[in-house]
Amino acid sequence: MPAGLDNLKHIVVLMMENRSFDHMLGALMKQYPKINGLTGNESNPDTNGAIVKVQPNAQFQSQLDPDPDHHFPGVDLQIFGTTQQGAGRVANMQGFVQDYFSQTNDLNRSHNIMYYFTPDKLPVLTTLATEFAVFNGWFSSIPGPTICNRAFAHYGTSFGQVGMDIFYVLDKIPSIYERMVQANPSQSAKIYYYDQQSSTMEIVNLLKNEPQIFATYDQFIADCKSGDLPEYSFIEPCYNDHAGADGGQILASDQHPDHNVQEGENFIANTFNAIRTNPDLWQSTAMLVVYDEHGGIYDHVVPPNCDPNFPDGHTATGDATGTGTPFAFDRLGIRVPAVLVSPWIPRGTVIPGTEDPAKGRIFEHASIPATVTQFFLGNFDNRTAREKNAQTFLNILTDNMRPDDDCVVFN
Amino acid sequence: MPPKVVKVPKTDPKAFNPNRPAGKLLLAQTQHLREGLIRHLHEVSTVLAMDIRSLKTEGDVSDYVRKVTSILHPYGTRRAGRKVAS
Repeated sequence: MPAGLDNLKHIVVLMMENRSFDHMLGALMKQYPKINGLTGNESNPDTNGAIVKVQPNAQFQSQLDPDPDHHFPGVDLQIFGTTQQGAGRVANMQGFVQDYFSQTNDLNRSHNIMYYFTPDKLPVLTTLATEFAVFNGWFSSIPGPTICNRAFAHYGTSFGQVGMDIFYVLDKIPSIYERMVQANPSQSAKIYYYDQQSSTMEIVNLLKNEPQIFATYDQFIADCKSGDLPEYSFIEPCYNDHAGADGGQILASDQHPDHNVQEGENFIANTFNAIRTNPDLWQSTAMLVVYDEHGGIYDHVVPPNCDPNFPDGHTATGDATGTGTPFAFDRLGIRVPAVLVSPWIPRGTVIPGTEDPAKGRIFEHASIPATVTQFFLGNFDNRTAREKNAQTFLNILTDNMRPDDDCVVFN
Repeated sequence: MPPKVVKVPKTDPKAFNPNRPAGKLLLAQTQHLREGLIRHLHEVSTVLAMDIRSLKTEGDVSDYVRKVTSILHPYGTRRAGRKVAS
């Protein structure tokens, strides 16, 4: 086992909201050719048939309003470039502008969905991606919205849901938190939500009467400082703008359109710094920054099919998908940014994805409970075949720890 | 040598807008929280409906106390019992 794994005591997952890989990290390919990003020639047709190329014009706010469609039928159109169902259609990632036009009814605004950030706008995410490890092939689990995708991060399945419903509370597969708490009741797993006014999106676990696994972000910062971080931590950003206890401003930091992307950058930096500034914690923690889904924003990589030998075991009806066609959870959603941070990871690590048929590895949100379960619990049977077969990400850690002065800090 | 420091620009304070219309995600969150509250109320009313005059033994009382305490102080935990040698 690599020394990085021998020393690992904590896994921290920070899940942001609704941005695609190309939108956030695609521009890095110019400087780092191994990153499967944008050449600048990727395009979509608009509703007049004109070719709309990707452009480096993304702004922190006020550009993606209305919120781009990311529910199942909309994502289906984005992937296949047509609303027609049935055999013979080909995934081509050509329906993004068309879908956004159906919301904006404004030809120029519909082009905004092709905009991406340049690295200078996102110094935190792009620094982490280039200083540690970036995944070329991390996909959302479902071509659909937030709740069903986040369910995969907590349960390794969405229990057949492709939408925003959470009413799978009585299902028998335990969340990763339940698994951890059952194995080690003290300090084994926590969901840190931002504050009471933002709360959590993982309400199923609240319904399951497990408030002991919840804490606020202030507690995360305190736990990092005191060295009391649990083995597994899942962090939720702030989901809305609201007044603080002292009357000050608290901005949404989730980066969900149309929330300010720069505030999310600050939140990622704060979370990283909390770990980075405790030397013991820094050496014994792997931190994954990942986005729940693409939020309707353009990405050029066609989502791959799931391995039919390891099914999720559910099928959503045609009514549930909203397309009239059932969905057997046999195809992944659109690619999202994912970065793994640890001093045991060499600078500039790029994990290949679909662009490398020989060495590429496909990750999705079921990889999160799969990794945490494998590392902390070993064999655990009561989960889907899909999760058991999901790629795990800790083998990216190596034998060599980078010296302190070789690892960045944010100010 | 000190580590490389990356400067992170602060967010424009004018970005704060609590009057922004709530999106689908936030509205779904309120619906889910409301559902949670209904289930919680159901749990409270079930315990409230118990007749405490029917509690006779220490086991009855401890079960009732546990139910109420878990509502009033949900962070409490149950301790493992002493194992008796067979």
